Amino acid sequence: MKWDLILSNSLYTAVSANAVAYILVASGLNVHFGYTGLLNFGQAGFAAVGAYSLSIPINRFDWPWPLAMLLVMVLSVVLALLLGIPTLRLRSDYLAIVTIAVAEIIRLFLNSVRFTWLTGGNDGLQGFTRFMENINPFPDDGVTLWAQKVDGYRLWLLVTGWVLVAVVSTGIWALMRSPWGRVLKSIREDEDAARSLGKNIFAFKMQSLIIGGFVGALGGMWLVLDKQSSQPQDFSTTFTFFCYTIIILGGVARAKGPIIGTMIFLFVIQFVDITLQQATRTTPQDPTPLLPTWLVDDNNFSQIRFIVAGFALAALVVVRPQGIFGDKREQAFDVR
Amino acid sequence: MGRQAEHRNSRRGRVAVRGFLALVGLSFVAPLFSSPASAATDDGEIVAIVTEQRETEDGVQKIPVAGVRITAVGTAASIEGVTDSSGTASLKVPKQGSYKVTLDVASLPAGVEASPESPTTIDVNFSTGVTIGSGAKSVRFFVGDARRAVINRWELLPQTLINGIKYSLIIAMCAIGLSLIYGTTGFTNFAHGEIVTIGALVTFALNQNGPRIHVLLAAPFGVAASALMAGGFERQIWRPLRRRGTSLTSMTIVSIGLAIGIRYVYLFFFGGRNRRYRQFVGDPEIDFGPFGITPRDIGIMVISVIVVVGVSLFLMRARLGKAIRAVADNPDLASTTGINTNRIILTVWLIGGGLAGLGGVMLGAASGVQWDLGNILLLLMFAAITVGGLGNPFGALLGAFVIGMFTELWTWVFPNVVELKTLGALITLVVILLVRPQGFLGKKERIG
Repeated sequence: MKWDLILSNSLYTAVSANAVAYILVASGLNVHFGYTGLLNFGQAGFAAVGAYSLSIPINRFDWPWPLAMLLVMVLSVVLALLLGIPTLRLRSDYLAIVTIAVAEIIRLFLNSVRFTWLTGGNDGLQGFTRFMENINPFPDDGVTLWAQKVDGYRLWLLVTGWVLVAVVSTGIWALMRSPWGRVLKSIREDEDAARSLGKNIFAFKMQSLIIGGFVGALGGMWLVLDKQSSQPQDFSTTFTFFCYTIIILGGVARAKGPIIGTMIFLFVIQFVDITLQQATRTTPQDPTPLLPTWLVDDNNFSQIRFIVAGFALAALVVVRPQGIFGDKREQAFDVR
Repeated sequence: MGRQAEHRNSRRGRVAVRGFLALVGLSFVAPLFSSPASAATDDGEIVAIVTEQRETEDGVQKIPVAGVRITAVGTAASIEGVTDSSGTASLKVPKQGSYKVTLDVASLPAGVEASPESPTTIDVNFSTGVTIGSGAKSVRFFVGDARRAVINRWELLPQTLINGIKYSLIIAMCAIGLSLIYGTTGFTNFAHGEIVTIGALVTFALNQNGPRIHVLLAAPFGVAASALMAGGFERQIWRPLRRRGTSLTSMTIVSIGLAIGIRYVYLFFFGGRNRRYRQFVGDPEIDFGPFGITPRDIGIMVISVIVVVGVSLFLMRARLGKAIRAVADNPDLASTTGINTNRIILTVWLIGGGLAGLGGVMLGAASGVQWDLGNILLLLMFAAITVGGLGNPFGALLGAFVIGMFTELWTWVFPNVVELKTLGALITLVVILLVRPQGFLGKKERIG
């Protein structure tokens, strides 16, 4: 077992550009679920819109990147309006079911053979990251952090990504301290009380859905910039539910919750995965793996992190719903 | 994070839709070649492969097509080639770059035509995507059997309707439990799909491994496993949580976590393949003129009609059924009339779980056993109970028919995009929520 490799890789994963993407998507969800109490089960749909509004115009139609980023913004707002208008006046279960359905519609469309000419289908789209590569100031061979090699492009995404996270998290923190943010929290706590004070509940919920959706779209964009490939299978509903795990881990309705949550979540998941990978690996010199193959082998070890992630989500909500660092008064679980 | 492998497994299930004109496109190309792109020299090679997908009685046959003219127009030059007996044409290009590779439709042999599902022009870019070895790119063209186009669309309608009815009945059986549980406790159970799956998995295990008993003997064990799993959850998890005063939203999120965990436990042990029971595979269809049904599908439909009618009668007439409806209608009022609500709720879980298990066993027989079979159905079940009216079991039946029929009719209306057939159902859901948010049989006060 190469513990230095395992640890350095897990630590790097917890702060990588991939982690930045998770933080942003979860931050958007935190605005919906944590602060406003909207049960959005389709955050992956917003992320997918962000990813493909960047990759399709650049790859297929040679748009300049600022225009594509503008499209990310426009389409995430459009999706929020589409989701919100029919459901925000109804009970929260309806929003949950419609958001999960629309997110699946988006994913199925992106995966469809028929629309491969546009979306790239199963294989996804590549070659839309050149603008980011061109302004990368770091040398291509990058740096070695402990035992982990990081190439220049990833390092560049990591640095810019954390700047983005700082801006977005500070923005959300400031917004939620403002009178506007207090209205959102009061909607979460007691919608009728907020309404009796003359607040337009529908408008506030819609604004929350739009802001959180846009932040989620930024996250989706960062996810595919990091992978240099946008693929529909990255935007399944499991992604949304991992974001729930993240915000509950880090503390619901706290601006730094998604950051802490993502770092813990990705570290644990990666640590489990890569340790098992090492423990089930066989080489020509050493044909017997560390763990017996009847228990786990190199074909099925990668399922274990999902098992851990799923049961961890269930256990967290039962045992410590406010998360590790959360405030019990803000746990936001009595959404109606 | 390398999540593709798992997702590829889950995708296989969704992509493997079966329709009359279902010609699967490029999905299986990706796993074949995946070495990274690296080129020593500047010249490159484009390997074009033309395959005919012919519908036969044993499924789709793949036949290479020879003598098809392929042209590549791009960065440096325009190159032409003709496919050999293995359906392959190799086009040597002097310079790597981007090329437009086109299949000349006029050069296709008689009886073969371009299929509407797959393009006849594919863009190739040497700097991206999959590459075979160094400096070679592969493109695949799929063409179809021209004879299939002769079938009259209207002649396909009866068969589509029959498939829709079968599919609706399976959704209905799975969804009744979900609806009853929602009705009695207000709880949206995202782990219901896993209760469906365990029925199919236990039946499969007893049928293919272990005692290797006939599927009809194994099925009751599958149903029992689902009922026990549902009842066990109620006793061990949901009832204690309700007693603690845990909110419904928390319980929903707990059920999501459980669903993910359990689903991947299934994948861990069962693997990602779609597998079949030993019986009822490849039986010939019985011809009814405009449509044909296999004895298996007749059995599925007859049993599910009997079960659905039986459950409806039970809910309408039996004392216990009336008590269930009373609790679903108003739990507080029901408990003041002396109904033991906890016992009723446990009964609902057992019945709902058993029905879900039966649905899972039948789905396993109809389209193969798979680790995420229930999860794929979950969204359609939600759509069904929402469209029908949340909490009303008869609404679930009605909703299941609307959703099941729309799903199958999608393949008839849009035969060239069958992989999107659940889209029909999901769009129906969104539209009905816009027009009538309480669903067909729902109560208005539930919605806001």
